[in-house]
Amino acid sequence: MSPKRRTTLTLPVEALSEAERIARARKVNLSVVIAEVIEEGLRARSAAKAEGERRVQAFEAYCRAVSDLTEDEMLLLNGIIMEPADE
Amino acid sequence: MVEPAFGPYLFDTSAFSWLERSTDPAVRHWLATYLRRHPMHVSAITVMERIRGYALLLQRAAPGQRAHFALKRQAYLNSLGKVWPVDATAAVVAAELSALLPQPPSPPKRAHRMVEVRQERLFRWRCDILIAATALAAEIPLIHHNPQDFETIRMAIETSPGRFPSLGPLNLVSVLRLTGM
Repeated sequence: MSPKRRTTLTLPVEALSEAERIARARKVNLSVVIAEVIEEGLRARSAAKAEGERRVQAFEAYCRAVSDLTEDEMLLLNGIIMEPADE
Repeated sequence: MVEPAFGPYLFDTSAFSWLERSTDPAVRHWLATYLRRHPMHVSAITVMERIRGYALLLQRAAPGQRAHFALKRQAYLNSLGKVWPVDATAAVVAAELSALLPQPPSPPKRAHRMVEVRQERLFRWRCDILIAATALAAEIPLIHHNPQDFETIRMAIETSPGRFPSLGPLNLVSVLRLTGM
């Protein structure tokens, strides 16, 4: 368990009321509920950031993968199927 | 300039193709900023078009080259984010559009002494209609690199609102405008 430090927060009334309701229902201190919510939020933020980086890496890997395709191969890849033109 | 944070956007096959080949640092930066915030949103039709392209490349490739193309195909699948299905609303919109616009607005592509197979041009047109319908049903802007086809679709929706009740307008963004070029 990480060390704790006392602080003062100013919170939106509705969010605070909901946190108090949860604390009462679970018979725990309000600080426990607030700490859990903050930790969950921070974890989700960190996961979203990591997922964003994964998306960037995956797209860049794909760009590198197609960079050596010829124009004819790109046409085919884009569903443009050519045949000799009747002159 | 299109703000990446205002996404998500649906990327048409032509936009996806343009983005994957662009080496412009401003474009790469825009895309990285976008992808840090949103998955790459594409239609299932775009996935079909692209995987069909790989299937054709693989069919025509020499045996020694097949693994090379298979790796590219896998890299494409790894890069996908949110894939939108063609749901009932998109199917109805696409059907109305297909009836309004049975023929593609631009001729088959030509290059050197080659011309695009006519039925393939029609196939691509119907794919464009399905992709536009998906964007309209999902109410997200469509990023494209095919103004002739998509502007025709947008105009048809605007001029026949009775066929598309409580939908539209189709919000189009050219891929060339992403970075304010």
